Amino acid sequence: MSDRYTRQVLFYGIGNTGQKILMEKTAVLVGCGALGCTFANLLVRSGIKCLKIVDRDFIEESNLQRQSLFDEEDINKNLPKAVAAQKKLQKVNSQIQIEAIVADLNPSNIETILENANIVIDGTDNFETRFLINDYCVKHGIPWIYGACIGSIGLTMNIIPSKTPCLRCVLDTMPPFGTTETCDTAGIIAPIASMIASIQAAEALKILTENYDALNKGLVKIDLWRNEIKRLHTEEIWEKSDCVTCKHHHYEFLSKDRYSMTTALCGRNAIQILHPNGSKLDLIKLATRLGKVGEVSFNNFLLRIKIDKYEITVFPDGRSIITGTNDASLAKGLYAKYIGM
Amino acid sequence: MNYLDNAATTFPKPEIVYKTMDTFYRTLGANPGRSGHKTAVAAEKEIEDTRMVVTKLFGIKNSNRFIFTFNATDAINMGIKGLLKPGDHAITTCLEHNAVSRALNGLERKNIITVTKVGNSQDCFIDPDDIKNAITFKTRLIVMAHSPNVIGTIQPIQEIGRLARENNIIFMVDAAQTAGVCEIDVNRYCIDMLAFTGHKGPLGPTGTGGLYVGELVTLEPWREGGTGFEPASLSQPEELPFKLESGTPNTVGIAGLRAGIEYVLSRGIHTIRKHEQKLTEKLINALKDDPRFILYGTTDISKKVGILSINVKGFKPAEVGAILDQSFDIAVRPGLHCAPFAHQMLGTFPDGTVRISPGLFNTEADIDQLITALDKIARDKI
Repeated sequence: MSDRYTRQVLFYGIGNTGQKILMEKTAVLVGCGALGCTFANLLVRSGIKCLKIVDRDFIEESNLQRQSLFDEEDINKNLPKAVAAQKKLQKVNSQIQIEAIVADLNPSNIETILENANIVIDGTDNFETRFLINDYCVKHGIPWIYGACIGSIGLTMNIIPSKTPCLRCVLDTMPPFGTTETCDTAGIIAPIASMIASIQAAEALKILTENYDALNKGLVKIDLWRNEIKRLHTEEIWEKSDCVTCKHHHYEFLSKDRYSMTTALCGRNAIQILHPNGSKLDLIKLATRLGKVGEVSFNNFLLRIKIDKYEITVFPDGRSIITGTNDASLAKGLYAKYIGM
Repeated sequence: MNYLDNAATTFPKPEIVYKTMDTFYRTLGANPGRSGHKTAVAAEKEIEDTRMVVTKLFGIKNSNRFIFTFNATDAINMGIKGLLKPGDHAITTCLEHNAVSRALNGLERKNIITVTKVGNSQDCFIDPDDIKNAITFKTRLIVMAHSPNVIGTIQPIQEIGRLARENNIIFMVDAAQTAGVCEIDVNRYCIDMLAFTGHKGPLGPTGTGGLYVGELVTLEPWREGGTGFEPASLSQPEELPFKLESGTPNTVGIAGLRAGIEYVLSRGIHTIRKHEQKLTEKLINALKDDPRFILYGTTDISKKVGILSINVKGFKPAEVGAILDQSFDIAVRPGLHCAPFAHQMLGTFPDGTVRISPGLFNTEADIDQLITALDKIARDKI
């Protein structure tokens, strides 16, 4: 073994054996934003066999404040996040395999993209994709690490199928579309993302080196502004849980039953996003929330917001028409960023 | 649900269509013309009975010249690609559905044929003189909709048919929006190829349709395979309908199509047309002098089928469609309706229009509800 990993090997929790095991493992990171950048950087340096980075977005100027793998040159080159991250990280560690996948993870491609994963890391910005990952991982018995940040608050939890509760045990139903704040409406400070991603990376090292006893248990919540660290013990939740996913094995997101539908509107430069369960949106509240980020107009039937060259029209049941693109994954990305899903 | 999207597909279907399909599939679901046993023969008979009923609808004299297809697009492709040869010229119009435009464009892009697209008048009619002026010595085909799906104006196909016949040109009509709603007689109108779909005016299920292939037309099959006829021969049979009907047909759909057409014939095409005219006229009268709405194409109801394309000022058509759906439970079709050139001619590209299309089972109350909803939308300024 080269000198590269000596300090990590010296660490009692890993050692030569741990490092060897680690170097045979494949991790898939879904979402390469603030959490994903920090996580990928830490994991690539630790020397796993393969890291796949899945992200549908391109880099924007407002990402640079917290997404530590990207720079101004990447924006000028109009690089997708996954590609920019891969290029940068491959320079850090040329000995491992790093794969960029520019795609929207969805029920149609998840079986291919997550195939061979020993662990899946959540760097997404929406609940729909998280519940989809949860379905896949519970179904195939693959550990995954939930992570989420907004403002100065961050959350993380390990999900080890059949050993810990799954995401749906803790968050039974997905919050209705259009009702959750996002980083693009409520803002975020960079340190909380680094902190949560660092916890995710440490937990990933434990899982990948098979140090299950060392794992952090329960849901961790940190607020760096109010100086609070809380832990929600989840053992009891799991005992009582009648979870559709991990107890009844109904994979509602994987089977598309509860997954949103995107349709290209006939010939137009627009995508419609529909939700199987609908929502009940308060357009006035939404207008207040979105007033900070763009030009908003609304009436009883709809709300419109202009963001750059796109226009998002939202209706009270949460359905939306995104004008200015024919790309369904870009439309979904905009929806997740500004309206929330 | 107040369903006003009958130009996309008619819904609901007559009860007899559901019942016929259910009974057929439970009792006669064999592969027609392949096995010779009782059920196979009965299934074959169902297809031949339907063929006879279709001939009645269009005045076709030789039922063997009627080919079952899976929809109008399938029929149009079969006709255009089976007929045109390298160097041929085809004339079409700017009001066509992509089924026609793209089939022609595909051949044009491969430099196999040349195409002339004829424009339309302000109120969306094609002038036969414009077609006449486009004819060259290479013109082999004139292909157009009887009534374009965006605006529903009824085109002068009789005059154009005569013109084609006089010039020894094949005349193909896309009757997707008129079959079962307007009188069509392939002989009187000099139609050499007639394409239609079963799930609109004929009130049948999706996956059915057909192509009439006149005596002057010889088509190369664009689909070859098993026909249940002359199985020992390696080459596709030359005899119609077998030449063009390869593969197991949509037998249950065809049974439903027969029930639909028989229902149409029993109600009377004239009665159905009058009903749709009455509803469309009511809608036109409510909207035409209201400055908040824009109506496209002629408002003369005697010259159109039950299709009205509109826009509400201040709203995109897709927005109006979504509001009607979720706040009023009314189904219409916003957008380009697979006919981008028609919308370019109307000046409604790329957003399109809101297309409203009442059918046989809509009532005046449905139209009243739509008028109230449109008024509420237009009133709620944004």
